[in-house]
Amino acid sequence: MSESTVGSIYDLGYKRYEGARLGRRHAIWALYIYSVRGVFGIGRSLSSKVGPMGLAIIALLPAVVQLGTAAIAPEDIEVVEPAQYYRFIEVVLAAFCAVVAPELVGRDQRMQTLSLYFSRALRRQDYALAKFAALITGMLAITVIPQVIMFVGNGLAANDFGDYLQDKWTDLPSVLGSAILLSGFIASIGLVIAAQTPRRAYSTVAILAAFVLASAVGSSLFEAAGQDVGRFVLLISPFHIVNGLTLWFFDASPEVGSQLAEADLPGAAYAIEAASVALLMLALLLRRYGRIST
Amino acid sequence: MTLIRTVRLTKRFARVTALDGLDLELEPGIIGLVGANGAGKSTLIKILLGLLQPTSGSGEVMGFDVFRQGPELRQFVGYMPEHDCLPTEVSATEFVAHMAQISGLPRAAARERTAETLRHVGLFEERYREMRGYSTGMKQRVKLAQALVHDPRLMFLDEPTNGLDPEGRDEMLQLIRRIGMEFGIAIVLSSHLLSEIERVCDHLVEIEDGRLVRSSSMTALTAPTSVLAIEVDGDAGQLADRLREQDVAVSRSGRFLLVQKEDDALLDIIRDSVVDLELGLVRLEQSRRRLEELFQSLPAGEEQEGSHV
Repeated sequence: MSESTVGSIYDLGYKRYEGARLGRRHAIWALYIYSVRGVFGIGRSLSSKVGPMGLAIIALLPAVVQLGTAAIAPEDIEVVEPAQYYRFIEVVLAAFCAVVAPELVGRDQRMQTLSLYFSRALRRQDYALAKFAALITGMLAITVIPQVIMFVGNGLAANDFGDYLQDKWTDLPSVLGSAILLSGFIASIGLVIAAQTPRRAYSTVAILAAFVLASAVGSSLFEAAGQDVGRFVLLISPFHIVNGLTLWFFDASPEVGSQLAEADLPGAAYAIEAASVALLMLALLLRRYGRIST
Repeated sequence: MTLIRTVRLTKRFARVTALDGLDLELEPGIIGLVGANGAGKSTLIKILLGLLQPTSGSGEVMGFDVFRQGPELRQFVGYMPEHDCLPTEVSATEFVAHMAQISGLPRAAARERTAETLRHVGLFEERYREMRGYSTGMKQRVKLAQALVHDPRLMFLDEPTNGLDPEGRDEMLQLIRRIGMEFGIAIVLSSHLLSEIERVCDHLVEIEDGRLVRSSSMTALTAPTSVLAIEVDGDAGQLADRLREQDVAVSRSGRFLLVQKEDDALLDIIRDSVVDLELGLVRLEQSRRRLEELFQSLPAGEEQEGSHV
């Protein structure tokens, strides 16, 4: 290309930017929004929507079943109780995390995009926090939305919506509290694993194993040694932690005969463990991003 | 305003010392950073961007402390890395606008400037496509665009012509020159090709083994020498003989005769000799030093002592 043609194409005049520069907080917010969109594949190709959207829909199914039942037989039938909801979708929650977390953080490592982020208006730890918040948001969407649909649907099916609200409004803080804690718990484990490798296949398998395998192991060990102090081995199982903490938030009892009932641990134990694990994982995540080379 | 200042900047890795007490003070301009592979160029750039922590020493860019004021500083800095760094599953438009926001621009401004910037670097309809299928040339343009989109005061370009064919290389260098000269953005350009530095830069910094070898303006480096180059249309040997008869020391270099110019009288002697011999004078010029010659004739070690920083 000769000098003159280059000139004619590019010579549209360069404008300086005199507007606002919003700094670090704006950068973190922008990364958060971009990442939340990425979680669900919004603005991406169809293939990046299929996984997360599909799992989100599956997570809704128990709520749909409950609403269907309530519509047909409105008399106080609760096939799916809010406090028990995650028992039906525990594997879906793990799978969602296993599909989304590697995309969220692995891609930037694989494509070496991290150096572009870290050379901009944020710090390494800000990046990790924005990604963590984005994954929690995604997890919240697939936990809170079914619960809210179920709550509203049950209310509409009830004889009197006003009475229903008066009766059940205390469920809402329980829905929110349990969803936030279990989302943070699952997301933190998933992100720490995904942040270790740029290879998506590895981290997806590892995250699934961390939830499904660890739950199976915890459950089997409990069968084998579930007396006295041995009862605490149930705390190895992420799925039991998720369901245990949810019951605690709803102040509900586990189903008779279930392992949670047999273990008979104080409900707070599950919540405390979930919170401690989430904090520990967050610390590991921040440390990882403080050191990762770019 | 001082653009870049480092004081005893040192970076040691497990086995190598990448920067060894580097003292540097640079004014805004188009600065070429040269040195062999592993000389410490990329390490220096990464430290100034806050991507790497130095072992010791301090660094300042445009008055900001690199380590304590990183996010504030980096709103005004652009970086084009040497390596691939683009995601494949988004379009250039979406990615560059996102990067502009991460540099602190509001969303609307980010979008507007993205459109302009992609036009400046010469990316048109393709910009709405996923970057998956982009050629090397297009990717380099997007990499340049993301470093430019937030209107930085300073851009670090690490081997920006890597992987480009000669034509793409040419266009990239023209763009960079334009960004530096017309857009008024300071540039630190690292390259292992002296010819590129010579074409684009007005200041040169050479580092070797993590130490500063020289820091000097390009005009000083390629200053006119006192050697006159003469090219004639006809028998140059004849002219050489005639000049020697008049006590002028002459050497030959290809088609050119080279003479040492001591005073202007020499010019008259040359003119008269050419006329006498009825030759055509094609060229008579003071030759400039070329960077390549400089780097050959002055081995790095000799200048280390005297280079001022």
